[in-house]
Amino acid sequence: MMKSNVMKSARQAAGLSVQSEASVATILLVEDEPVTRASMVARLTRLGYRVLEAENGRVGLDVARREHPDLLIVDWMMPEMDGPTLCEAVRRDPLLKSSQLLLMTGQDQPAQIAEGLSRGADDFLSKSASKQEIIARVLAGLRTSRLVRELETTGNHLESSLLLLKRSQEETEADLQAAASFIRSQLPSQGSLAHGIVLSWEYQPSLLLGGDLFGVMAIDEDNLALYILDASGHGVAAALRSVSLMTFLRVDNILQLIGSYDPGKVLFEANRRFPLSADGEYFTLWVGQLHLPTGSLLYASAGHAGALLSSAQSPSRWLTRSSFPLGFDPSAQFACDRLFLKPADRLFLLSDGIYEVPSSNGEVWGRVRFQEVIDAGRQTSLSATIASSFSAARCWQQAQQFSDDAAIMGLELTESRERTFI
Amino acid sequence: MKINERSLPQGMILDIQGDLTYANRTVFKAAIEKAKQACCKNLILNFEQVRFVDSAGLGLLVLTAQSLKRVQSKVSLLKPQIYVREVMSLANIPTMIPIYEREEDALTVRAA
Repeated sequence: MMKSNVMKSARQAAGLSVQSEASVATILLVEDEPVTRASMVARLTRLGYRVLEAENGRVGLDVARREHPDLLIVDWMMPEMDGPTLCEAVRRDPLLKSSQLLLMTGQDQPAQIAEGLSRGADDFLSKSASKQEIIARVLAGLRTSRLVRELETTGNHLESSLLLLKRSQEETEADLQAAASFIRSQLPSQGSLAHGIVLSWEYQPSLLLGGDLFGVMAIDEDNLALYILDASGHGVAAALRSVSLMTFLRVDNILQLIGSYDPGKVLFEANRRFPLSADGEYFTLWVGQLHLPTGSLLYASAGHAGALLSSAQSPSRWLTRSSFPLGFDPSAQFACDRLFLKPADRLFLLSDGIYEVPSSNGEVWGRVRFQEVIDAGRQTSLSATIASSFSAARCWQQAQQFSDDAAIMGLELTESRERTFI
Repeated sequence: MKINERSLPQGMILDIQGDLTYANRTVFKAAIEKAKQACCKNLILNFEQVRFVDSAGLGLLVLTAQSLKRVQSKVSLLKPQIYVREVMSLANIPTMIPIYEREEDALTVRAA
């Protein structure tokens, strides 16, 4: 028959620290010898603890599972279930993780101590221990128990917080994915853009959302507007600013504002409307207008690394000039240049993120090496040349992911004489 | 990025080591703010040990020039490396922030 008994604390003796522990601590004494048990119960009760008792390991386990004591003081030798077996059972029970186990023994042989520890005991108490030693070991066990419980509580809070954080991250991730899909949907379709013009591009934002955007739009039946923009910085803020500029660059908006898609005027207006932010954020922008029947390309740049023209007859050349990015100088003017594209010419609009990639020793790949890849790609398709550029950049930096947004948009004029929109 | 500060009678020199990029913007901004708090009238950014400046770094340079101009102070660049110089040139930075090859020139010309 189970014999457990909750004793009222005597709340006396043993000093302040013991009383402080005793105000909350419950100790379960598991001992088969009635005289020893009664003596120990009396001693612990006098120290102010709430004391439960059990006469063997099996009963002790039942009481422990019901009462969750802070400390179990367990005799080694007992009928039905001995001390070490009780220690093992307590250690296996997740609800008793914080309960500390003090194994009582009449001997203190190293082999026995090792066995007790390996089977789950936290400490040992000799049956012949002095009152001071008993107090010291009980206090140590209760202190550990309290710390373990605090850790458990903290762990539970952390687990709940982590769960909330994960849910929040998943929602944010889903929002960002949706935003990235939207931005990607705004990029031009690849393939035959117009009779006689093929378009291909590759774009890898450094984060889920990028600050580089590009576009090709019909101004009228004979003219195309082209642009590539680069927002300084990365991530969501840069992407939002880029979408704002992309909206500004829509043909209907520009025609309404300034009456034409003259690149210099477009940049002037954009410079007025997109000043340098208080955090130093700004755009670089390259804008072109291509007259399809003649191949005439009028273009201007606001600090953008610009465009590269690749011709069958001559080495490629950059189509840019030194100029302020948008917002650096409110009064800046942006001069236009003009050239004529010929059949088989390729025009690449690109962000600096594609060639500003460092090698393992910090050396930047650079415009010249990029240009060499473009020139070497004359014999391959437009899309293959763009893919080669990305491969070469990745190879240089020995990483798949770019540290800045990387984009290349390529247009190729085919041999067809007639260039009109499909 | 490491920034070492040298105060001279003709101005303050910030010896910058590392890349001036989006990732390092906080360190750079703190150094500039410190120079402004010290009422520096002639700030020289020594770029000899700066290998790379990204778009965010350029923006910070322009902000620095604008904010110092508002308090009648000047900023100049010292000995930028070739690649950095190209990036600066593309964005027309030298018309806004003078570039010098010798520390003495930056100190004397700008202090004049």
